[in-house]
Amino acid sequence: MAQSNRRASGGRIDRNQPLQFTFNGKSYEGFKGDTLASALLANGVRVTARSFKYHRPRGIMGHGPEEPATLVELDGEDASGNRPATTVPLRDGLSARSVNCWPSPEFDLGGINQLFERFLPAGFYYKTFKWPNWHLFEPSIRKAAGLAAAPAKPPARGHFEARNAHADVLIAGAGPAGLQAALEAARAGMRVFLADEGAEAGGSLLHRNLTIGGRPAMDWVADAVAELRGMENVIHLQNATVWAYREHNLLIVNQRDPEQDSILERSWRVRAGEVVIATGATERALVFGGNDRPGVMLASSVQAYVNRWGVTPGQRVVLFTNNNSAYAVAADLAVAGVTVEAILDSRNTVPKAALDLVSGITVRSGTVVSDVRGHKRVRAVKAVPANGGAGTWITCDLLACSGGWNPTVHLWSQSRSTLRFDEELAAFCPDQAVQSCRAVGAAAGVLTLDRIVDGGEDLTYRIEPLWRVDVPGQRGKAFLDVQNDVAVSDVHLALREGYDNAEHVKRYTTGGMGIDQGKTGNINIIGTVALQKGVPLQEVGTTTFRSPYTPVSFGAIGGLREETVLFPYRHTPVTQWNKDNGAVMYEAGARWRRPGYFPKPGEDLQEAVNRECRAVREGVGVYDGSPLGTFELKGRDVPQFLDFIYSNIMSSLKPGDGRYGLMLSEDGLILDDGVAFRLDEHRWMISTSTGHADAVNQQMEKLLQTEFPNWQVMITTVTSQWNNATICGPMAREVMHALGTDIDLSPEAFPFMSFRDGTVAGFPARVVRVSFTGELSYEVNVAPRHMAELWGKVMEAGAPFGILPVGSESSHVLRVEKGFLSLGHEVDGTVDAYDLGMGWAMSKKKPDYLGKRSVALRRSGGGTRRELVGILPEDPNRPIPEGAPLTPGGRKEATDGLVTACVWSVVNNRWVGLALLQNGHARQGETAHVRVKDDVIPVTVTKPVFHDPEGKLLRS
Amino acid sequence: MSYKVNIARQSLNALFDLKGSPAAILTWVEGALPALPERPNSRTRRDALDLYHIGRDHWIVRAPLGLEGRLETQLRPTDCPADISIVRVSDTLTFFRVTGLQAADVMAIACPLDLHDTAFDADAVTYSELFGLKALVMRCEGGFEFAVEQSFGDMITDYLTRATA
Repeated sequence: MAQSNRRASGGRIDRNQPLQFTFNGKSYEGFKGDTLASALLANGVRVTARSFKYHRPRGIMGHGPEEPATLVELDGEDASGNRPATTVPLRDGLSARSVNCWPSPEFDLGGINQLFERFLPAGFYYKTFKWPNWHLFEPSIRKAAGLAAAPAKPPARGHFEARNAHADVLIAGAGPAGLQAALEAARAGMRVFLADEGAEAGGSLLHRNLTIGGRPAMDWVADAVAELRGMENVIHLQNATVWAYREHNLLIVNQRDPEQDSILERSWRVRAGEVVIATGATERALVFGGNDRPGVMLASSVQAYVNRWGVTPGQRVVLFTNNNSAYAVAADLAVAGVTVEAILDSRNTVPKAALDLVSGITVRSGTVVSDVRGHKRVRAVKAVPANGGAGTWITCDLLACSGGWNPTVHLWSQSRSTLRFDEELAAFCPDQAVQSCRAVGAAAGVLTLDRIVDGGEDLTYRIEPLWRVDVPGQRGKAFLDVQNDVAVSDVHLALREGYDNAEHVKRYTTGGMGIDQGKTGNINIIGTVALQKGVPLQEVGTTTFRSPYTPVSFGAIGGLREETVLFPYRHTPVTQWNKDNGAVMYEAGARWRRPGYFPKPGEDLQEAVNRECRAVREGVGVYDGSPLGTFELKGRDVPQFLDFIYSNIMSSLKPGDGRYGLMLSEDGLILDDGVAFRLDEHRWMISTSTGHADAVNQQMEKLLQTEFPNWQVMITTVTSQWNNATICGPMAREVMHALGTDIDLSPEAFPFMSFRDGTVAGFPARVVRVSFTGELSYEVNVAPRHMAELWGKVMEAGAPFGILPVGSESSHVLRVEKGFLSLGHEVDGTVDAYDLGMGWAMSKKKPDYLGKRSVALRRSGGGTRRELVGILPEDPNRPIPEGAPLTPGGRKEATDGLVTACVWSVVNNRWVGLALLQNGHARQGETAHVRVKDDVIPVTVTKPVFHDPEGKLLRS
Repeated sequence: MSYKVNIARQSLNALFDLKGSPAAILTWVEGALPALPERPNSRTRRDALDLYHIGRDHWIVRAPLGLEGRLETQLRPTDCPADISIVRVSDTLTFFRVTGLQAADVMAIACPLDLHDTAFDADAVTYSELFGLKALVMRCEGGFEFAVEQSFGDMITDYLTRATA
């Protein structure tokens, strides 16, 4: 019968809006305002899940994020996994499935595990699956014990969003305490950010029949919400969980139903001046044999389903409690027409105020439940005296339990604020705040409405803790953590094996590690440990509360960062031209997208690279060198500053001239290589590698701010003020002439390592004669506004000379042929300039420079070092993988080097390579051996230069 | 568009980076610029010229691109004395404008700075972070304006398109 457990009236659902949904392939109906859990209960669905390890049948136990038992996987446009059914809003067309069962929770083949329960205690797999290797068994175990899989596809529509916010006060929770705090702060003019995880404001008032000032409490809530809505200084979000509390009062909020249809979820990063934690309290379970059977629920959840959703989860109810709050539940059930068979109270004396609420209902004090009859639904419970003795079975179909209340201190603890154990409440409560925060209401241990809101009326809270039922003859597993199938016996085992710290117990048993974060059971684990060890709970303490408080979508954390903006990227004005001309684009350091190579139709990478290299070596090529880091330095102390940060001397340069140099880090290793040019007496320009531009900038600023604060050096980054087209090759000068320039290009007037300002192709330009290819090169720098046009003119002017655009693959080949170093290849964080054969760059004249002492110290220790050499495979057609090791004789021994690069050289018509080889400089002419998988490649050790060793071409 | 905003990528501005002591700067520019802002992270304006105080002894002059030549003549970057630095940086920054009813919402997606008018007034200008990038942020009529390193311009356009889709 459809919605057989739905009450005829009542509840905060819209009965005029029926919704169709499916659960495990079967169709059901609910109402707008339902959760999946309330709709399933309304339809009489008892078995909703199977447990994690033993595959025991489970039903719905809670009504909110504390739900430990029923996790579901959603299909279709809601696709997501491991969602507590209690937190899934019902919508038309919703399709959900139970996790961890096959073919269904009613009949699950994995249920066979129940036959072997006694052989599967906590940590059994650590001990059992050791031979031959744990990893052999791991996949099967994970599959058997798994939860839902991640959705196979990204959401079909919409996107996630992450947003920042600032507030004078952030209030987590819009229950009575949170609303009261929001009203007071907002009325005082503060910027208020109020976030609540529920669909509606009101917190516990949503499901309790309480009054404030003689009126229904929800009327007070409606008034408060309306007043807040009218205030511009208030942001009030529902369906928004504050799930993380970070340093400096940074809190993260997951909003699940933003107002825009296109936004799936929104993550708020809120900086708050002060934080008010009004997260309420969570009811805890009671621990006894069979306490996980479908039909065993939290008492407050039963109350919520009856009052808020108009659902009666059972018709004959037994309540089991150790505190007063269950009496209000019993009273509400009676009003709803549900038969309350008995209230079993573990306390010997029940306060009169509680008894007054339940006149006519049988109350058995000093009584506990020791066992439950029924496999897939509760049929009866066994009531026994708390101090032992004969028991009686009470027939029922629902057992509502209340083990007391825990202030929801997750956020408080995440802020690193401290907790104290309150003996009167038998719960951990907020103690000393570490950040600017305060807890209020039930989160602070104030568990009755009359102490939160003026005029509130509530039953006084009294409790006598019951951490577990411990009576003789008790049968069945008593679960502490229902989600992870952790029973009392598991904790006892952990203690016997020496894991007696709360954190160790957690790791060994997995108690409290699930999606529910042990909201209903952690305190019982702590209590069980305390009982077993005979120490107070305060001494056992809690485990660390970590974010997230409730599960959060990865998408919400990532926000917009997906697809094309997953990583930052940078373009030059020529990027589009490169794409339009078929370039294969690469990420090339510092987030620049650069062309790797320009294949023609039918060409592979090697063919395209050979063609580009041949153009540079025999004719002319051009590449976009804009990404190189460029800085302008100004001030009287720039010369001595450059002399300090470069290993060679720069201060002797005359205006118009430049010099190549190495920058070292403090430890004497190579930070970067580049060139410095003197623009005039006090103005300099330096150029760095693309990938290390930021690191060089940071190093310079750090030195100026910490070591030389009185030096007059002012640095301006001009990487994006200058773009350049670098024309390189024997025909480069002809192309420059064809472009048209007022600069005298003759080698005498414009030699290598100098620059000239003038015009090129009609654009103001700074032309620099440097070469990273070993050929005659002109680096034509112009403002980016002119770059695309300049590029077009270069291609046009170069066409008669067969000019080709050159990608980074070819640049790599050309520099290897010349033996020019590359950061990340030859400069690998272990070598110094001497290792690279660049001792000439280490000034002997300067008294000091950065890294000098470290280099000297390291080299004074003696010993051999890996040094840069060239290598020629004996088989000229045999390529060598970059990174391959060199070993003595190619044997399986400790390496004495590695191949840093190997390329097909068009000028040598063979493969050539560079390597770092132990004592390499002294081994030129020797045969070394590269060890690769299933082969050894003999190579001849040479000087690390294969083209124009005298450098005549680049100076031509 | 999920937000009621107008987003516009601006054309180039004339920009000059100024460093040095205020006294040295004032001596050199001789009234060519607005008065130096008194507070860090604030700006002054005269006619079409804006002057942003963005760091200790550090300013940016901004003007329409048409004034770039005139400013270059007045500021004489290549001739200025050793104790100040003036560098034309017009091409280094790309400016975006986000205006409209929900401009603050879109900026909140991009930028962690508190841009509420009680914390970030009409004269405020500061470097901050925008979609993870260094950005110069300020108010403009009806919303906000920001600038990022020019090479990231396409990526910011990509981001803003996604944010408002």
